[in-house]
Amino acid sequence: MIRKFVIPKELGDSIEVRLLQWCKAEGEMVNADEALLEFETDKAIVLVTASQAGVLRRRFFNDGDWMKPGDVAAWLSDQADEALPAADAVLDDTLLVTFDAT
Amino acid sequence: MSRLFFREALARAMAEEMARDPRVILMGQDIAEHGGSYAETRGLFERFGPSRVRNTPVAEAVTVGLAAGAAAAGLRPLAFITYLDFLMLGLDPLVNYAAKLRFKSAGQLTAPMVVKATAGAKGQGPTHAQSIEPWLMNVPGLTVLAPSTAGDAYGLLKSALRASGPVVYIDHKRLFPLGGTVPDDEQTIPIGSAALRRDGRHLTIVAHSYMSVVALEAAALLAASGIEAEVVDLRSLWPIDWQTLADSCRRTGHALFVEEGQEVCGVGAELAFGLRERVDGLRVARLGARRAPVSASPVLEAYTIPDAPRVAEAARRLLG
Repeated sequence: MIRKFVIPKELGDSIEVRLLQWCKAEGEMVNADEALLEFETDKAIVLVTASQAGVLRRRFFNDGDWMKPGDVAAWLSDQADEALPAADAVLDDTLLVTFDAT
Repeated sequence: MSRLFFREALARAMAEEMARDPRVILMGQDIAEHGGSYAETRGLFERFGPSRVRNTPVAEAVTVGLAAGAAAAGLRPLAFITYLDFLMLGLDPLVNYAAKLRFKSAGQLTAPMVVKATAGAKGQGPTHAQSIEPWLMNVPGLTVLAPSTAGDAYGLLKSALRASGPVVYIDHKRLFPLGGTVPDDEQTIPIGSAALRRDGRHLTIVAHSYMSVVALEAAALLAASGIEAEVVDLRSLWPIDWQTLADSCRRTGHALFVEEGQEVCGVGAELAFGLRERVDGLRVARLGARRAPVSASPVLEAYTIPDAPRVAEAARRLLG
């Protein structure tokens, strides 16, 4: 299964956020409880940790890019060689994650 | 150009001016280790130390009074007032001491200080969300700035920290979640210069601070129905850039003044009068908050404050 990670819309008043860094490269395994990426709002730094394992297949933004709540930031798959749909495909399944804001 | 959060643009302006001039000091509630109410002083305490980044008690009269005294004695203080409403407590030292010092001393003393305050409605209710900048425009000797973009906040705060007399720099709670472009090299924006944000030929919409964002949204709505609105962002409420405003009004013949505060004796009232004196045949209208305190109810707050559809409706009424 291929799952998406979406920048959450429940970020208070945030209109834009900045991607600070990916913690994993494309093609790399992300285990449950491993950090996926870190982004910054106008008030806080948010660390996103995966709650379920997956292979990071596609990163839609680069370090330093600006994103909006609701943007799909990444796709992850159960298997490293699962075929990916076209880049503009809309996926239904969402990766389970936790957010830690500091 | 780099894209920065609004707070980062402010932090950069302060850091550059503090590095440039050792007389610049910061004073305000929670600005030291905490990094500011809007995270806009993050990193400055660590870089410049406790003698130049000073926490103050919850006592705005004291904060502004200390800043005025320090300015008269040769420093360049930047005093933070978390909500513009609370500047009411500091008006006596600001208006009666700082703004008049140059006049009262025949130029022997000046008060080169900046009061930075955050205005605007964003859920804080009747006493933490007002836009009372016209009160300040009324005071001889005060400069009043109100940017709407991160780049302008950066350039204007730098100019404010170099100015010879007291400056009130006002931003808005709704500007902080927005990013904006800021020049990579050090630049200032001259005090007293408005910015033309959008070209149009049917009417001029004049706004400042967050209402400039709303005015641009309204202009986009109007464009969809064939009305081309020019949008002028004041940036500086005093002094007023009459030239830019009058040039735009001569092109369009119609001016709509939009503000978040009250219409009575408001920014629009002053600008409409001044522009009617300068531009023959100019037709004017104004739109401000409905005549009620800012409500703590989100529904009533939204009802009270101008939004893009109301601005567009006022523009259509003006054009008849």
